[in-house]
Amino acid sequence: MTASESVGDIEASAERATQSRAEAATGDPAVVVDGLRKTFGSGPEAVTAVDGVSVAIERGSVVGLLGPNGAGKTTLIKSILGMVVPDEGDVRIGGVDARASPRTAYADVDAMLEGARNDYWRLTVRENLRYFATVSGVDPDSVAARHDRLLERLDLAGKADVAVRDLSRGMKQKVSLASVLAGGAGVVFLDEPTLGLDVESSRTLQRELRRLVAEENLTVILSSHDMDVVERVCDRVVIMSDGRVVADDTVEALLGSDDSHRLELTSADFDEALRGTLAEHPAVVATEGLDRGGRVELRADSDGLYALMADLDDRGVTLDDVRSVDRDLETAFVDLTGTDGPDP
Amino acid sequence: MSDDTPSVESGATTADQPPRPAGYRHLMRAVLYREYLVFVRYPANAVGGIVVALFFFGVLFYGGRMIAGRALTDSIEGIIVGYFLWTLSVGAYSSISNDIGSEVQWGTLERHVMTPFGFAPVALLKGVAKLVRTFLTSALILAVMLVMTGTALSLNVLTVVTVATLTVVSVLGLGFAAGGITVLYKRVGNWLNLLQFGFIVLISAPAFDLGWVRLLPLAHGSALLQRAMVDGTRLWEFSIPELALLVGVAAGYLAGGYLVFQVATRRARRLGVLGDY
Repeated sequence: MTASESVGDIEASAERATQSRAEAATGDPAVVVDGLRKTFGSGPEAVTAVDGVSVAIERGSVVGLLGPNGAGKTTLIKSILGMVVPDEGDVRIGGVDARASPRTAYADVDAMLEGARNDYWRLTVRENLRYFATVSGVDPDSVAARHDRLLERLDLAGKADVAVRDLSRGMKQKVSLASVLAGGAGVVFLDEPTLGLDVESSRTLQRELRRLVAEENLTVILSSHDMDVVERVCDRVVIMSDGRVVADDTVEALLGSDDSHRLELTSADFDEALRGTLAEHPAVVATEGLDRGGRVELRADSDGLYALMADLDDRGVTLDDVRSVDRDLETAFVDLTGTDGPDP
Repeated sequence: MSDDTPSVESGATTADQPPRPAGYRHLMRAVLYREYLVFVRYPANAVGGIVVALFFFGVLFYGGRMIAGRALTDSIEGIIVGYFLWTLSVGAYSSISNDIGSEVQWGTLERHVMTPFGFAPVALLKGVAKLVRTFLTSALILAVMLVMTGTALSLNVLTVVTVATLTVVSVLGLGFAAGGITVLYKRVGNWLNLLQFGFIVLISAPAFDLGWVRLLPLAHGSALLQRAMVDGTRLWEFSIPELALLVGVAAGYLAGGYLVFQVATRRARRLGVLGDY
């Protein structure tokens, strides 16, 4: 490849990024993953990290990727980004085949990866933004005003000329996010963006992320073990388990997707023998002994609930307290994956 | 380079400009400026390297003079040129291989992979910056060695810089290959650093007068540098085949090392270990 052809490629990539923004108004998905599969190792030791995953990410949406440790989230993200070469399947970004034309496909994409610094700690915040804008194929002088806006939004303007190594962990995370957005990428992958942050820093980052998504019309694919982050920030959730997608729906749909009721019943009549009997009941998900009697947590549809109540009535049980347990994302996650929740 | 750090005010004037594409010129400026900033802001590594290099030369010179007496003094010019070339080689090799290792560890190499430029041209530009940096520190070491030993050498800048650069470029190629192996196998950096002691053999190789040895990195260049700095031979006084071999060895090892780096990176992507430190 000649130098002029290479420069031409870079310029074509930058034009492609601008075009992608223009296409944002159309209904074409930003990212389409079709039948992606990746196996590490061979023979009996082989581990299939991603097993035939197909998913489409609409433009301007924030999609959460949830799953227990080892579910394949990071491998999926890295396979989409070309950092891991998949064994099978296709990835199209902005309609461009990522394997055939990676430069064009990734022109409008950037990523913040789990456990990585993502930027240079010995440079200042602003120097990082300028550097990563350049390597993203954008002349940093032409986006200087955007950088100022980003620094203001993320409350980093006062630290713009401070070396990243001298900042707190929360601020370093924000610098990572800012440097990912520095080149004006329209599609952004964030792998565990709040990992290791205290509650306040995490909430600030979530708030700023949501605001940036709205203002910049970003498409975000966010992986997190933190249900709160996913519930607060994402429009849609893809839940993975053992390398497969086990759910792909809006947050609202996942929170209320079935006709089940979760109740917590407390009664002095729930002695050890009765709790043992009730534990066998399909609607009962947990039992607990108290100083007087016990507590039973149940999940059932309307018919199941009436049947259990009739059974308790027949046994002469007097209920001291009945509480409704709200279905949250963690509950949905546990139901779908059969695990206790994403590992911290 | 001052335009790399615009003020907030200057940024405000470009508020409504659409983003302009960045080409290789912008990339070169960004990478070289980053290397420059790190060098001037964190000089401890460079200063430490200079102090250690001079300490070992002092031990070699004063210790050798006590043991070998006049024999060492008679060959001191050759020793200084060889030591100068060794510090250049070690500086270029270890800085590029260690730097690639650090980029893997920080996750910044992975991030570069998906950019329109990729990491390879960035690594190549880093190599250029490391070479310039190493020349600055080795020139200082050379000056101190000359003062310490009271030796005079022929220092035609054009000849010395050209021959030394082409000689060290072959080692830069080895640095890229070592960096590629680090990308694949991670914590092998310390083992690969042992290779720099092999450079002593290669720099001394012309003394063995073996024809095929000239195809190894450093060997032929070391012979030409000795002639340039000790005998005062100028660049244009070398024969065309000698210069052609110097350029050929430099280009061959650089291209080979770059290829190893590219292949290793591609394999790391297949194995899923690119950023898995």
